[in-house]
Amino acid sequence: MKKKKSYDYARFGYIFSIPFVVAWCIFQLYPILYTLVIGFTDLKGIGTKNFHVLWTTPFANFTQILTTPSFQTAFKNTVFIWLMNFVPQIVLALVITAWFTDRRSTIKAQGFFKVIFYLPNIITAATVAILFAQFFQYPKGVINDVLINLGIFKNGAVDMLQKKWVAQGIVIFIQTWMWYGYTAIVMISGVLGISPELFEAAEVDGANQVQTFFRITIPSIKTMLLFTLVTSLIGGLNMFDIPKLFLNGKPDNSTLTTAVFIYNQAFAGSYLYNRAAAASVIMFIVIVVLSAIVFYLLRDKDEVALRKLIRQQEKAYKRKQKGL
Amino acid sequence: MKKFMACALSVCMVAATLVGCEGSTPVTPADPADPADPVVTDPVDPAPTGTKGTINLWAFTDEIPKMADYYVANHPDFGYEIKTTIIATTDGAYQPALDQALAAGGADAPDIYAAESAFVLKYCQGDMSSYAAPYKDLGIDVDKALKDADIAQYTVQIGTNPDGDLVGLGYQATGGAFIYRRSVAEATWGTDDPATVKEKIGGGSGSWDQYWVAAEELKAKGFGICSGDGDMWHAIENSSDSGWVVDGKLNIDPKREAFFDVSKKLKDNGYHNDTQDWQDGWFADMKGEGEKEVLGFFGPAWLINYTLAPNCGGSAVGEGTYGDWAATESPIGFFWGGTWVLASKSAIDNGKADAVAELIEYITLDATKDGLQYAWANGTVDWDNDPSTPTAKDCVASGTVMSISSGELDFLGGQNMFDVFVPANANAKGDNLTQYDETINGFFREQVRFYAAGEKSKEDCIKDFKQNVADNLDVIVE
Amino acid sequence: MANNSNGLELTVQGKEKKGGSIVLKIIIYIVCIFLALLSVLPFWIMIVNATRSTTQISQIAISFIPSTHGFNNIKILTSKDTFKPLLGFFNSFIIAGGSTILAVYFSSLTAYAQVVYEWKLRNAFFSFIMAIMMLPAQVTMIGFYQMVYQIGMTNNVLMLILPSIAAPSMVFFMRQYLQPALPIEIVHSARIDGAREFFIFNRIVLPIMKPAIATQAIFSFVGSWNNLFTPMVLLTDKKHYTMPIMVSLLKGDIYKTEYGCVYMGLTLTVLPLIIVYIFLSKYIIAGVALGSVKG
Repeated sequence: MKKKKSYDYARFGYIFSIPFVVAWCIFQLYPILYTLVIGFTDLKGIGTKNFHVLWTTPFANFTQILTTPSFQTAFKNTVFIWLMNFVPQIVLALVITAWFTDRRSTIKAQGFFKVIFYLPNIITAATVAILFAQFFQYPKGVINDVLINLGIFKNGAVDMLQKKWVAQGIVIFIQTWMWYGYTAIVMISGVLGISPELFEAAEVDGANQVQTFFRITIPSIKTMLLFTLVTSLIGGLNMFDIPKLFLNGKPDNSTLTTAVFIYNQAFAGSYLYNRAAAASVIMFIVIVVLSAIVFYLLRDKDEVALRKLIRQQEKAYKRKQKGL
Repeated sequence: MKKFMACALSVCMVAATLVGCEGSTPVTPADPADPADPVVTDPVDPAPTGTKGTINLWAFTDEIPKMADYYVANHPDFGYEIKTTIIATTDGAYQPALDQALAAGGADAPDIYAAESAFVLKYCQGDMSSYAAPYKDLGIDVDKALKDADIAQYTVQIGTNPDGDLVGLGYQATGGAFIYRRSVAEATWGTDDPATVKEKIGGGSGSWDQYWVAAEELKAKGFGICSGDGDMWHAIENSSDSGWVVDGKLNIDPKREAFFDVSKKLKDNGYHNDTQDWQDGWFADMKGEGEKEVLGFFGPAWLINYTLAPNCGGSAVGEGTYGDWAATESPIGFFWGGTWVLASKSAIDNGKADAVAELIEYITLDATKDGLQYAWANGTVDWDNDPSTPTAKDCVASGTVMSISSGELDFLGGQNMFDVFVPANANAKGDNLTQYDETINGFFREQVRFYAAGEKSKEDCIKDFKQNVADNLDVIVE
Repeated sequence: MANNSNGLELTVQGKEKKGGSIVLKIIIYIVCIFLALLSVLPFWIMIVNATRSTTQISQIAISFIPSTHGFNNIKILTSKDTFKPLLGFFNSFIIAGGSTILAVYFSSLTAYAQVVYEWKLRNAFFSFIMAIMMLPAQVTMIGFYQMVYQIGMTNNVLMLILPSIAAPSMVFFMRQYLQPALPIEIVHSARIDGAREFFIFNRIVLPIMKPAIATQAIFSFVGSWNNLFTPMVLLTDKKHYTMPIMVSLLKGDIYKTEYGCVYMGLTLTVLPLIIVYIFLSKYIIAGVALGSVKG
């Protein structure tokens, strides 16, 4: 019986992993490779079934995309919008975390606030984008009305969405607004998972709240911060719903992100699948490289955490689970 | 191995369940119980339908689908069920969907589809023209029918494919006029008479000079001359000599380039409410609820029944701005819009040529009093059996029909609009359209708004416009 | 941003003076209430405007008091051909529900294989899952679309459901959950009783995983429900339009705009989410926190 088990059951490990592997190969690996191939072809136009690899100028699509001003603008916008929403989002989340986890003064109705802060995240991004577009309508709209009534717009309605920085600012605001609650809840749970002895020791040593926060709390949740950074980075570099539906890249490409650019190349106008694929591959490489860098930094600086994370999690996670 | 089989079986079962509940929707064409399909639940339609099959009809408004339903309702022996797909052109959603449906082919492929002037060339002469079936292959005697109905030449010109075969026809004639508010004219010039207003705005003069004078006079009384720069854009776009793309290269017609200055002039002088067409502010001006009241809008007859009338804030004289309108000749003749009806080659392959031809002839070529165009021109199409919602009158493509129809409208204070619109139809032509108009217009108008708002120099605007075209379309830009 | 730095400064002050902690608390509550208002206000304005007539809105665009035109707006809205909330809900429900079921089931199965069995490639496979967790789906869309297009499966919702069988991050989460939560002895004793492996997983292990499944199911469902990009690319037949696609088309019925209707349309899409959220908020917030175990 015993002999049979060790020799027999191993194959179920493979069998039970088969659906995952098969689905992944069909729905992710193949599309990735196919995208890569299309990037080297002349595939464009709707209904095109025949296309050719560009043997003589294999990188034509890539060089074309890289030299396309719209793509450059889109890339800059994407990075800028992501950065400008990530920084306030993480700062706001940390401030809320500091307040909500302060052991010396308890904030009441925390549960309520968490629920409300997280609310925008649950709402369909498409809805949020259109709602805000509706608010900023010109010449008649909610925001214009408010600002005129407050006496800020003295010369009547202003077409705010025609100003590049306003449009970008609103997209940044929406992104921050939608995500700070999520980040805060994640951070709070991370802080709650820190061993209480650490804080007690700090208190005994006479550290104040600010010192405790920066010396104990932040280092303890560093792994979590980096993880948030990576997921936010990937999400940010793929930002699509809000910019697409809010202004579709307008005004003057100021809210054009790379995902919207790729969509417009492939599915609007001339159906330039080849260029869109090349742009996708470029973004893919950017994301993989950036993620790798972040993970590398994480590895370098905190080998222990990494080992915990990837190799021998059993103990660490048992403890964390119980802590929760 | 047994366990593996069980595992595989369960996967199949999950998949089958999903197919079972989902897959049935695309397979069963227009399930009569499907609440999603308003056409089938249409109470007007008591006739036994679907006995011979289904006709797949694609459109971007409910207009052609309604016409088809109307036909089916009044011809119980037609025997086909109409399955409609309506996707608005907003945000360019219609074209990609239609393109894919045509390219995919098969039983669900569109049999009849509609194309608007902003992109009709793509389907008649451009990238997608290979999917359109010539009318004659459907069994229509094209030459005789065109002659009998006296169809406007530009409609035919646009609807003819590179091989010289007619593949699409419109049912409207879309020559444009200036449609103005009588009360505003009265308050400014002491009369609301179309002939006087024509004189005041320089109607038919071929230049905008007198129009600007009128704008100044209106401004002095606290009125705008139009709602936004888009109103004048349609007049300028469709009166220019050449289109956006000539021989595969981007081409900026001087008349279109001059729109930069027109738009700036409007904005700098406050001659309009700075609205954008098809947006909320524009519709508000039709009710007279904008920042200031505006004199009027540039548009063809269809603008009245699609846009002005539904948005005027009433449905009878005295309500909203209903009845407070009149039409007169535009300073520069133009045409705008129009819907063409095409049939796909797969309709022939699927053996539906006769039925498709029947519908298309009814909509586009039948010049008798039984045909659609007569009812359309005279506003006697009562397709919902609800007399309280009569259809409006419209100019139609058939000259024969126009000659026996009357365009008197309460909405226009009893004016016979055909007096203005029929001569204007002479301005309609098809040679300045291109297949990318919708997209390129979007790029162009955006830059013009920047220039008008003083955000950028004209040179920068043109540069950015060209760049956008080059980056997004398969068009050569020099 | 300004609020944040203020808050921090005040934290410092609160430290130095004992009495300052009350001031700090007041500040904290004010900021929190401000943020809460910011979260709720846009939706409140939306709901209010959904009940107002187009004329009311075009005169005064903002109001906090509901009006009486809600039903009228619904009537106008549903008479339009493009917006069918029930159909949208149904389609979104099928897609989100189907992909959620597949995702949690197969992720649990894959995680189970990781935890219970000793097989040669186990660690390698886990490293592989870690690696692909970060692969973004959107940039592979062109290839995916072309593949689906070539096999004629556009407008087939299976193409939106089946890919969720492979959900690397969920496998990761399930594995982390299962490892401490599953006493291996249970599996052993079940085997001694003659249970087959697949039976053990379905009848014994899945129930143990319920809490993790609930959490992940909520997120998978919400994620799929809110997804716009993939359905927008793949689904061109309006019969299959999901809620987000219908919302994206709300912006313009080109020949006529009704402000009230646009707000009503948005409200109809948001209200169910908010109601469900209020009921499940406890689990959802706990789930967000639990999900953070990842890091």
